[in-house]
Amino acid sequence: MMFHGRAKLVGTLVGVVFAVVLANQQAGTCLGLVYKNIMLPRNAGADIWITAPATDSIQGGRFVTEATLMAARTADGIAWAEPLIYSVAAISKPGGGNEPLTLIGTRAPRFAGGPWNLVVGDREALLSPDSVIVEDSDREKFGGVNLGSTREILGHRVTVVGFTWGLESFAPSYAFAEYDLARELTHTPRDSMSFVLAGVSAGRNAETVAAALRARLPEADVFTAAQLEDRIRHQLLFESSIGISFGTSTAFGIIVGFVIVALSMFSAVIDNVREFGTLKAVGATTFDLVMLLFVQAVTYALLGSLIGLWLVGGMANGIRGPKLALDLPPALTLITVIGMVVMCVAASTLALLRLRKVEPAMVFR
Amino acid sequence: MNAIEVTQLRKTYGAGATAYAALRGVDLQVREGEVVMLSGPSGSGKTTLLSVLGCVLTASSGRVTLMGRDVSGARERDLPQLRLSLIGFVFQAHNLIASRSVRDNVSWLLELRGFARAAARDEAQRLLGLVGMADKQERLPVDLSGGQRQRVAIARALAGNPPLLLADEPTASLDAQNGMAVTELLRKLARDERRTVVIVTHDARIFHLADRIVHIEDGLIARGDS
Repeated sequence: MMFHGRAKLVGTLVGVVFAVVLANQQAGTCLGLVYKNIMLPRNAGADIWITAPATDSIQGGRFVTEATLMAARTADGIAWAEPLIYSVAAISKPGGGNEPLTLIGTRAPRFAGGPWNLVVGDREALLSPDSVIVEDSDREKFGGVNLGSTREILGHRVTVVGFTWGLESFAPSYAFAEYDLARELTHTPRDSMSFVLAGVSAGRNAETVAAALRARLPEADVFTAAQLEDRIRHQLLFESSIGISFGTSTAFGIIVGFVIVALSMFSAVIDNVREFGTLKAVGATTFDLVMLLFVQAVTYALLGSLIGLWLVGGMANGIRGPKLALDLPPALTLITVIGMVVMCVAASTLALLRLRKVEPAMVFR
Repeated sequence: MNAIEVTQLRKTYGAGATAYAALRGVDLQVREGEVVMLSGPSGSGKTTLLSVLGCVLTASSGRVTLMGRDVSGARERDLPQLRLSLIGFVFQAHNLIASRSVRDNVSWLLELRGFARAAARDEAQRLLGLVGMADKQERLPVDLSGGQRQRVAIARALAGNPPLLLADEPTASLDAQNGMAVTELLRKLARDERRTVVIVTHDARIFHLADRIVHIEDGLIARGDS
């Protein structure tokens, strides 16, 4: 840097890196939590979700009816429609006690709604009587289950026939059973289901079909999978305390980074005020010096972002697991870089104000 | 032709009861290629005169013409361009940018004067050769002696080929030998490249290198005016 000693250069970069790491760590954790909530609609393999009215998250306890399923099956543009059961349940442990899980009942042979990410077994194994697939990372929690282990879910003996990996929802981890078994375990009425999942016919637009279906099913909510993801994301980020909590932490990181960079750049101008005066004396305009500061600020932003993102990437890999994973999409990286450039340029304003007051005549005093 | 013409130049700092007249009607002419030294006691007004000649300070009244251009009525925003095109500065404390190499200190100014980066580096190299510093162009100012730094400052002052060189106490922080060498260099540049050099100095050891010595007292030229 033209007017930055090594210590100030490091100090400024620390400010940017701090802001990048804290903002990305918070945003990544928040997005990771959001992903836990949207992983089901994203991986269910359905184009359209039909839910109970006013649904803004994936949760059990609310039902749509058999009539809705039938209406969906006969609707224009719908290739298939299947019921899905979603319910919180409990699995017994050999030594006594229970652990909660989220039971998903999915109808063969399509198995819309999962399971996915299978690491042991296949979904057709659910066709065996009283069989379930559970989350591999919860094996110990469920009392050391293996393939073929038997446990009780809600008092009903079941056999574990497969394992998924990473299906840790915001609620307890997902477990999968064939639809009829899940309905029986959860005592869901025969003419009711948690959701209807549907696929659109080839060549048909999901949004158009969903809109037509919405008019046909006033007693239910109809979403495309993407719309349902958006709805859940919006609810979490803007209508729950999660968004405020993580947003505050992210803003705090950016504010601290801003203050560090602003003070560092300001003090660099103060330290080098005679050199700036010299440049003005020899013919540099205030605009030339502003450009100098601007380039300096952008360089700090890019360099700090690079280091910060590298650190966050390492951190994300270090802690990545089924229970907790930072979600760092490319868009977040882009937003980070742009945000840091804006932050550093804004932070240089204080230095700029001081720079404007530098008089070239000072070099002769 | 006169490179510098100053007529009834006045500069007053402040106003009212606290007003202080640093220049009280200075008349001065300096010919092209001439080496003029301004001397006088502290507070006599010589640095103020140099600042006005350098277009870093505007006069309260009077007329200043540099290389035939009347600069006394120039607008504030036009002054940087005037400085850039007409004047090279050598400061008492060299004022080099500490974090940049010797070459960058010179080439940066050339880039400001419109040189492309590669051309600026080549020209900086040439100018550093002119002042005997070609072999130290990659060094930082902190790695140079006082005399060497002042030579770099002279190379910087020559960047862009300005016709006027203004030096403020260029030997003040140098020992006798280096002070002499730096002044001889300025004189040689004036002779060889027909630059006009105005030096503010207290240093009597270098007076013999001047074509003319102008003595200022109490904001007026006491003797030596042309």
